[in-house]
Amino acid sequence: MAAPDRQQAADISIISYMPERAKVISTHRESSATTIELVLEDGRPLHHSPGQFVQVSVFGYGEAPLSLCSSPTRSESFSICVQPKGNVSRAITALSSGDWVGIRGPYGQGFFPIDQMRRKNVLLVAGGIGIAPLRSLIHFICDKQKDYGRLQVVYGAKTPSTLLFQKETAQWVENPHLDFYLTVDQPDKTWQGRTGVVTEPLREMDLAPDNTIAAICGPPVMFRFVAMELLQKGLSGENIYFSLERRFKCGIGKCGHCQLNDLYVCRDGPVFRYSDLQTRKEAGEAWVPEKAQDAAKEEKR
Amino acid sequence: MMPFARKPRVAFFDFACCEGCQLSILELDEKLFDLLAHVEVVAWREVMSEISEEYDIAFCEGSITRQQDIERIKTIRDKAEIVVSLGTCASISCHNALKNKWAMNELLALVYSEYGEHIDTIPARPIADVVNVDYQILGCPVSLPEFETVFKRILTRQAYTPSNQPVCVECKRNDILCVHEKGMVCLGPVTRCGCNAICTAFGDACRGCRGLIDDANLEAPVRALFGEKLHPIMAEVARNNRLTGKEIIARFSLYNNTGRVGKGEESSDGTA
Amino acid sequence: MTPRGIQIISGPDFNMFLEAIMAVQTVIGPRERGDQPGYYLFSRLQRAEDFAPGYKTTTLPPKKILASPKEKLFSFTFDKPPRLRLHVDASPFVLLGVHPCDLAGIDALDHAYAHPPAEMRWSANRKRATIIGLDCQPDAYCFCSSVGTDAARIPCDLFLTPIDHGYLAEIHSDRGRQLLQKANTSNAGEEELAAAKRWRQQKVERIRAKFDAPLERIADILETGGLTPTWKETAKRCYSCGSCNTACPTCFCFDMIDELDPDLRGGTRYRTWDSCQLLDFAMVAGGHNFRGERWQRVRHRWQRKFLYLFRQFGRPYCTGCGRCSRACTVDINIVDVTNQLIAAAKMEG
Repeated sequence: MAAPDRQQAADISIISYMPERAKVISTHRESSATTIELVLEDGRPLHHSPGQFVQVSVFGYGEAPLSLCSSPTRSESFSICVQPKGNVSRAITALSSGDWVGIRGPYGQGFFPIDQMRRKNVLLVAGGIGIAPLRSLIHFICDKQKDYGRLQVVYGAKTPSTLLFQKETAQWVENPHLDFYLTVDQPDKTWQGRTGVVTEPLREMDLAPDNTIAAICGPPVMFRFVAMELLQKGLSGENIYFSLERRFKCGIGKCGHCQLNDLYVCRDGPVFRYSDLQTRKEAGEAWVPEKAQDAAKEEKR
Repeated sequence: MMPFARKPRVAFFDFACCEGCQLSILELDEKLFDLLAHVEVVAWREVMSEISEEYDIAFCEGSITRQQDIERIKTIRDKAEIVVSLGTCASISCHNALKNKWAMNELLALVYSEYGEHIDTIPARPIADVVNVDYQILGCPVSLPEFETVFKRILTRQAYTPSNQPVCVECKRNDILCVHEKGMVCLGPVTRCGCNAICTAFGDACRGCRGLIDDANLEAPVRALFGEKLHPIMAEVARNNRLTGKEIIARFSLYNNTGRVGKGEESSDGTA
Repeated sequence: MTPRGIQIISGPDFNMFLEAIMAVQTVIGPRERGDQPGYYLFSRLQRAEDFAPGYKTTTLPPKKILASPKEKLFSFTFDKPPRLRLHVDASPFVLLGVHPCDLAGIDALDHAYAHPPAEMRWSANRKRATIIGLDCQPDAYCFCSSVGTDAARIPCDLFLTPIDHGYLAEIHSDRGRQLLQKANTSNAGEEELAAAKRWRQQKVERIRAKFDAPLERIADILETGGLTPTWKETAKRCYSCGSCNTACPTCFCFDMIDELDPDLRGGTRYRTWDSCQLLDFAMVAGGHNFRGERWQRVRHRWQRKFLYLFRQFGRPYCTGCGRCSRACTVDINIVDVTNQLIAAAKMEG
């Protein structure tokens, strides 16, 4: 039996759920989401790694977990990207500079393969708001270019107007160190780029399966198809990473909401290896291809 | 922290109901003054005789049961920025929908014989069935702490969704002895909470006044022990030791006559 | 766990002991419900006579004292910048009459909350409490011997076993030793030790409900899967009312809510008990529910208690107290269902 760490319990750094104060320094509204730039009250950097999240409080409205979309390599401030879906996220999108929020974190494991990614080719696949946590990683890798191999990014959105970070993505297209594939499901009249779902550009891409690490973030339905495509291309399950979304309250593996079999998305993730999820039934029922079929079979019995 | 440009004007309106919800709000006592400090009350029949036609927030109590009610609620909707359906009559039709089991002409003949033709009556509907409603408050009558919460949410422009958890959750949080242990039959396991389990706290069973939760399991059998302290009305229920939720709701069909909360279905088979 | 000392207190001396504690500290323990004789709850005891040492069980475990169903976390204002104030209650109290199963429940939560990253709310309340355990006799729902909690002593300061005309008091901590100094005690003789031993033997012999397999085997069965028919059959009866969770001494899932002050200048953040059996528990912002089917939630409860947390902490997150079975209005009995799972696994081979 593992004894609880009594020493740790005496430490004042243990979590009280009371956040620290942070100030909004800028907001940037796009049609489907708003990016909020924040700085901690004492100005110290957050020291996060790409893929981690913070618990953001709008006092009186509540608290919500949000992925960090900025890279720790760039500034003292940090950014979150929010879609107005619930009470708290609506309140966050309504913030303007000078407003105050509460911050807990950074929490979660982030893209922990960041060291394993060194000298390897990195493939990032984003769907919709899933570009937010990946943007952090894109900036990070671009800033440490010599440490990494080729960076390839596939970003798909429903319509051209829902594309996020439009100014930046325009630059990514021009960036010689980055292969950027942009696609929309439903083009409008002005759209001159690619159409279709994210798996289509993936299919055409030339990957070195043994030397590539892939990270995916998007709606659950996307995971299944992207994973199938990548496995077909010869990537191993250990080199495919997913950033998952769950609702949770604590951010530290206590409140139970985000439990996925024996894992807590907040504490053990939100980034997981595909091969780790493959063995988890509850992940399977949601979207891991072969597990979904197993679950369906079991359900029929 | 005051998103309204000026003090919002609040009006209370009533349709088919007992006006008990409006009345019970007065029991907030001093807290009522704290809340009303943020608004200007312009119409409230239970409290004042003045009535203004200009208002921002309309608390509407009661069900829509007459043709003329439809016109009236539409007018209110046009004038008010925020419409709140106050109480179970307004939100899920409550007892008023008991009449929906009959055809209206049969019903009029039954109750009023030859005078029936002069009476305007239509099947009872929740307000949300006729106009768009911004907030729903359940309860017969409304629970005061919940009214207070919603009132503050409205003033800070926050959404409010009635709880989708059963009354059992609040019974346990308050360490109230399960009324099944007393041999009573209770609708708590299928009924939305938010009332802070007030009925069970005072020794009664839940009669389902806040409507069914979304995944109410109406096929599950309720444990009905035959206790000495059994309420006479429940004697018959308890004699059958294993009634399903559906059967018990049929016996308590006072509240759950027009479908689920937020859906505003008109049809009814009198059970759920 | 071997006690650091054993003393005897007579019945009248015990009442004086309680009065002496009550003079300086709040005492919380089992007392009979005013509204229904024969039923008990943990609540503040005003007088020594309020203590009901013969209680079989309570609706809620003493967890409710250490992690309140609605716990104030901190308050905030809408100033710029907002002013935040952490809510901490430091007043000490004595938690009296805790059965071994409930001691095990408190210990389970000690582990869960202290596991890194640790939180301070539970541990802060634990520091306030001096715990006096009390041995018991089982009711029809008890199955502590199947989960190894029937003789649990951790984490109590004192532990009482009823004997003729009083109690045998085991000292388990310095705090307990200090507290017991308030009492008239005498040394335990062979006779009293034998009486306490008889009590324990009788208790275990009287336990009727039992798991048909050891815990490690149950974990394996849950991990292997193939139990969907049993889950679905159980779910047919289940109301998803969450009472099994809210009445459980080891369930600790929670939600957080903000409440505004009436003057709208600030408010308070609370945490409230939540339950994995409720429909909306695993719902995410976009509306997708990761455990939308009732049977998935039923399965989750068993897996969490007997597989995930069992493997993580080397102990089941079930204390055998039987409260969930008692609280269930459709008689889903945790022992019966577990034995059905064991039987189903045997059929599968």
